[in-house]
Amino acid sequence: MKLSALLATAVVATLSFTSVSTAQAQFTPKRPLEIAVHAGPGSGNDVFARALITVIDKNKLSPVRIQVANKPGGGSTTAAAYLASKAGNENTLGVFTNIWITDPLVSAEATNPLTSMTPVALVIREPGLIAVKADSPYKTLQDFIDAAKAAPGKLSQSGGSVLARENVLRQLLMGATGADWQFISFPSGGERLSALLGGHVNMMIVEPGEATSQVRSGAMRVIAAVADKRLPGFPDVPTLQEAGFNIPNLPQIRGIVAPPGTPKEVVAYYSDMIRKATETQEWKDYVAENGFEPAFTTPEETLKFITEYTEQLRGILEKAGIKLVAR
Amino acid sequence: MDIINGLAHGFGIALVPQNLLWCFVGCFLGTVVGILPGLGPAATIAILMPLTLNMDPAGGIIMLTGIYYGAKYGGSTTSILLNMPGESSSVVSCIDGYQMARNGRAGAALGIAAIASFIAGTVGIVLLTLVAPAVARFALSFSAPEYFALMAFGLSLVVLLSGASLLKGLLALLVGLWLSTIGIDLFSAQSRFTFGRSELLGGLDFVVIAIGVFAIAEILTTIQHRQEGTLIPVPKGFRNLLPSREELKASRFAFVNGSFTGFIIGVLPGAGSAIASFIAYGIEKAVSKRKEMFGKGAPEGLAAPEGANNADTGGALVPLLTLGIPGGGTTAILLSALVLWGIRPGPLMITESPDIFWGLVASMYVGNVVLLLLNLPLVPLFAQLLRVPTWILFPVIFGLSIIGAYSVSERIFDVELLAAFGLLGFLMAKTGFPSAPLILGFVLGDAMERALRQSLMMSQGDLTTFFQRPISLVLLIAAVVILLLPLVSWFNRARVRAISEGA
Repeated sequence: MKLSALLATAVVATLSFTSVSTAQAQFTPKRPLEIAVHAGPGSGNDVFARALITVIDKNKLSPVRIQVANKPGGGSTTAAAYLASKAGNENTLGVFTNIWITDPLVSAEATNPLTSMTPVALVIREPGLIAVKADSPYKTLQDFIDAAKAAPGKLSQSGGSVLARENVLRQLLMGATGADWQFISFPSGGERLSALLGGHVNMMIVEPGEATSQVRSGAMRVIAAVADKRLPGFPDVPTLQEAGFNIPNLPQIRGIVAPPGTPKEVVAYYSDMIRKATETQEWKDYVAENGFEPAFTTPEETLKFITEYTEQLRGILEKAGIKLVAR
Repeated sequence: MDIINGLAHGFGIALVPQNLLWCFVGCFLGTVVGILPGLGPAATIAILMPLTLNMDPAGGIIMLTGIYYGAKYGGSTTSILLNMPGESSSVVSCIDGYQMARNGRAGAALGIAAIASFIAGTVGIVLLTLVAPAVARFALSFSAPEYFALMAFGLSLVVLLSGASLLKGLLALLVGLWLSTIGIDLFSAQSRFTFGRSELLGGLDFVVIAIGVFAIAEILTTIQHRQEGTLIPVPKGFRNLLPSREELKASRFAFVNGSFTGFIIGVLPGAGSAIASFIAYGIEKAVSKRKEMFGKGAPEGLAAPEGANNADTGGALVPLLTLGIPGGGTTAILLSALVLWGIRPGPLMITESPDIFWGLVASMYVGNVVLLLLNLPLVPLFAQLLRVPTWILFPVIFGLSIIGAYSVSERIFDVELLAAFGLLGFLMAKTGFPSAPLILGFVLGDAMERALRQSLMMSQGDLTTFFQRPISLVLLIAAVVILLLPLVSWFNRARVRAISEGA
């Protein structure tokens, strides 16, 4: 009896070992793939995930159906916790952005840092444009900085959370120039934009897609690009470096992660699928239309990027006087 | 002339059979989504958006917008019948709508809601057609101090929502204000009152609180009184299911009030339709000659907020279409849909995409008629629902409430919160605390705090900023006047008593 039980265990163990080793050779998902998104339907991330799924479906890059799981709440916290709870599950991925890095730095409740997940790929970077109202006296970023220096604390910038890239860039610019202006938080993009167009704040950082029609209709002027090189739609707008401001172009990123401890072959499979998707014409069109920059990276490069970027942001936030969580 | 030509062109597009069909589909889906608590128009539009990308842009945007305003129509149904607000915009409709149903006027209430929605919805679109550019400039002139004053004005309405005891109303309001501060603070990125629970980082959801303190509390109260049989009397005969002439007459001013209040507040990005309906209700009660009827089933107390949340739709499309600025969640999704079709809403939209602009505007006139025709025949049908005995109806309401709370973000934690708020609402009802001020505080608290902090940051801590700006000053004075109203009536009563005692 004992022997046969032992034998059975051995057989089962061997069988499962062989099945694991074949899976190692080539993993393919058997069940529908779920992509967790940290915001509600229609948010930037949600649209990004659905666009990616549409491209994958159209080009038949996935043998299984892919669906979006919206996990809003607490910035990225709910989605990160959800993804962490899926450890060992090979059918779940998540879309991460900068706030997956910053949230765990500042909030004690956010206990699942991006560094604990399994990186798969960076997919896009989003450049930004520094914009002022069309009839404002500031023709260049230097004009704005000079005015802010002349009257410390008088000028203001509209933006989202203090953790958002907009505020981090403001901190870097203020640190480099000695100027000082206010950062006024608004929960939605619409309110930030109407605060600028109504003349209630002096400056904001917008997405290229958002700026195009405002600039063309003569409501807005863009004075600098937060990007490594000039943006295709705005060839006359200098980058921060060209304008004489030597600060890092903090990228706004969107990428894909898997739950903690996901096996290498599974990561390799999804990395490959995303690479193929980003090489299609449909995806290139989507990226160009929205003024994004393609930024595909391998899992190893993604891990390196996340580790370094986390440390960089920690340093900047600390300097900006934002209370960080000791971990 | 441009407007007439444009509109004529628009009707040419909206009345193409194919687009007419999409308009109907959108309105129908919107009505269904509005009736179901939890699932909102924003989520529905986002889910359907990928399907519409292969459609003709005009047809697609006509359908998606139909969902948006259709949901406002449907939202009142559960408010009136079950005291269960399906969307934040229909919470005020519970106050008098549900009382009308309890008085046996469920059919009339549904009818008034449909008529108010139709009138105000149409007025909203007429205003969108005629005055959009000018009104959009007005919206931009609103800065943080004006928003603060508007919210303060809204909060002062607690006086009108409190019922017997103003003190209890104010206490409930404070609890609502406190609840609105739970979660991550936008300005400092620090969490407040989360008690170490990551579920609370995102703050509490409106639907969970409103269904708890309204629907669940109502059931618990009724069960305690051991009412047998049917909950609410439903009169026999088709005639009794429609609003009476007196009820319509009483709602005359409410139709106008709801239309304009809803439109003006809808135009402001960052205000929202819940605020529009609260303020319309407040104005209605403040000017009414029979204030004592409010909260007991006054038809005008239903018509004003129900009108306002529909006129709000027309208003919310003004900054979206003329400035490219989305005022709220649903309009932000409509914006991303338009962008995916390669259309950029903004000042150039009318000249560059006249087909879409005028086609959409014209389709909304059509859609409002469709919704009226769709909703009126449903009135008797829905009113019959109340004939269902309580032993069936209550479990169904419980089930719907739980599904509604769960579907907000698909987690059991919200269902637990729902139970807690149901209990809170029940205890409040037992001890004579009104629940409407709690909801008012929760709806306005967050936006009011933000506006206050934004104002003070912009003025570098100078409080006089609120009194130097005309719109803000007027709104603050109005708020003070409303707050002093009870004092005046108390004074009057004392005087009358003195006179009668003297005589």
